[in-house]
Amino acid sequence: MSAVVPEVEVPASEDVLAVTEDVWMALLGDDAPLLPRTVAPGAPFDVAAWSAATTISGGWQGVVTVELDEALARRLTMRMLALPADEQASDSDVADAVGELVNMVGGNVKSLMPGPSVLSLPAVAAGRAAFSSDSALACRVDLVWQDAPVRVSVHVPQEGPR
Amino acid sequence: MRAMIIDDSRAMRSILRRIVTDLDFETSEAEHGQAALDQMYAGVVPDVCLVDWNMPVMDGYTFITEVRANPEWRDVTLMMVTTESEQRQIVRALAAGAHEYVIKPFTPDAIVDKLSLLGLVPA
Amino acid sequence: MTTSTAFASVSALVRRETSMVYDEGKEYLVEARLNPLAAARGLGLEEYVARLAFDADERRKVVDALTINETSWFRDHTPYQAFTDAMLPALLERRQITRRLRIWSAACSSGQEAYSIAMLLDQHLPPGWSYEIVATDISTAMLERVRAGRYSQVEVNRGLPATSLVRYFTRVGRDWEITERLRERVTVKHLNLAAPYVGLGSFDVIWLRNVLIYFEAATKQDILRRMLPMLADDGYLLLGSSETTLDMPADLAAAWQREQIGRVPTYRRASAARSLTPSLTSTGA
Repeated sequence: MSAVVPEVEVPASEDVLAVTEDVWMALLGDDAPLLPRTVAPGAPFDVAAWSAATTISGGWQGVVTVELDEALARRLTMRMLALPADEQASDSDVADAVGELVNMVGGNVKSLMPGPSVLSLPAVAAGRAAFSSDSALACRVDLVWQDAPVRVSVHVPQEGPR
Repeated sequence: MRAMIIDDSRAMRSILRRIVTDLDFETSEAEHGQAALDQMYAGVVPDVCLVDWNMPVMDGYTFITEVRANPEWRDVTLMMVTTESEQRQIVRALAAGAHEYVIKPFTPDAIVDKLSLLGLVPA
Repeated sequence: MTTSTAFASVSALVRRETSMVYDEGKEYLVEARLNPLAAARGLGLEEYVARLAFDADERRKVVDALTINETSWFRDHTPYQAFTDAMLPALLERRQITRRLRIWSAACSSGQEAYSIAMLLDQHLPPGWSYEIVATDISTAMLERVRAGRYSQVEVNRGLPATSLVRYFTRVGRDWEITERLRERVTVKHLNLAAPYVGLGSFDVIWLRNVLIYFEAATKQDILRRMLPMLADDGYLLLGSSETTLDMPADLAAAWQREQIGRVPTYRRASAARSLTPSLTSTGA
């Protein structure tokens, strides 16, 4: 579930998983469990329709990203906004909800790392997340909720010449 | 009772609004600290503010400092509702004048419990 | 094994080992608490229950899972307010010589009651006083949690004042750990409330909240009878908000004298001669 970056402190996969589960439970309740999903290392997220990232900077540097598939993003949004089933969430609603999701995960990841650090406002995009070439994957958690995949990853700055 | 919900996420404001509306609060909303201050200067002074920390334009910490600097608003109860969860952040917010602090993610009960600790809803 | 025989066999097991009663109608609760245990073994609920007859480890887990008391910090608020506003001032006056208080958190579960009391004593006991809180439970898993004094973010988010969180807890990874200063005042003991109370000493205040409801009438009466000598003559017994001694046989109801502190009923030993608590009518700030 995680790649290794030497000499930089990285969050443990199990902590990122637990934080994600807490956020999920609070937003969606426990009527359906968030289950692990087996994905080959290095495989890009296959169904990404929405991605949101937040940057932690200060005592620790890193980027926390959440990617999720279209249907899941919309369901999450409907639930957070309590929209009736016959209504549609707008793209701007989805961007807002997914942004709040990464804000919660990111803030809790920040609290597990050396500080003090600052959490950026979330940046949300439709489509797969783009990762800066000078960053390295520190930790990745692949999950599935009601058949819909979701991925949380943490990237840290790449050390030294590449 | 009137609650002002200050958070840059519409979705989060909607979640908080439903929780406090169930407790018979009237609500107003603002998407950042400055918008909340503008409303308060215009006369919309709530009994309690539920304040996020990280927001554009004016963050929740600055908002709390501003509210506490105005003696006319000394009866306004301030409750942080934020993903900032380091001990030092909680200490800072309390020192700046926040009365309570809820860490995101939260369940509705957490908000209700804290409002009842603050004497804003019957225990 | 069918669902109803599985339920009957589990409720018989819990009753045998703890005297707690799971009547028909509590199937949902048994199911909710046992499903995760069965799933962890990769078994369906009925298969899992059938296996219990041969597996002592799993039996202990089932008893633990079914005897866990829902709990929170300063649950119901008012008993804690009555404790600081009325019981504590009275006890401070009457314990001038020993300057020591002993408190029993019976059926302590994860320890939130015991540590809530510890936080109040830490704030309100004058210098030179000491205290011990004895926390007992039938679940060994719960006792381990009390000893560790570690709580999840979800747990500290509920009902715990933020000032107490930063004053008495330290962040340890994802959890929050209660300060050593309070942990060392809490003594943890394994105890079945339906079995004899041996080696506990006597107490100034007994918190017996929201647990009697799990026992049948005869056991309930037996527990309340055996609680009498556990309480100091001028001590206080606290029950859950839906529990009372009023529906007990006349002699037992008379042995416990109900004394109202604000909205909170407390129970005191009727036989002991003593003056009434000062500030009886106090409802607190």
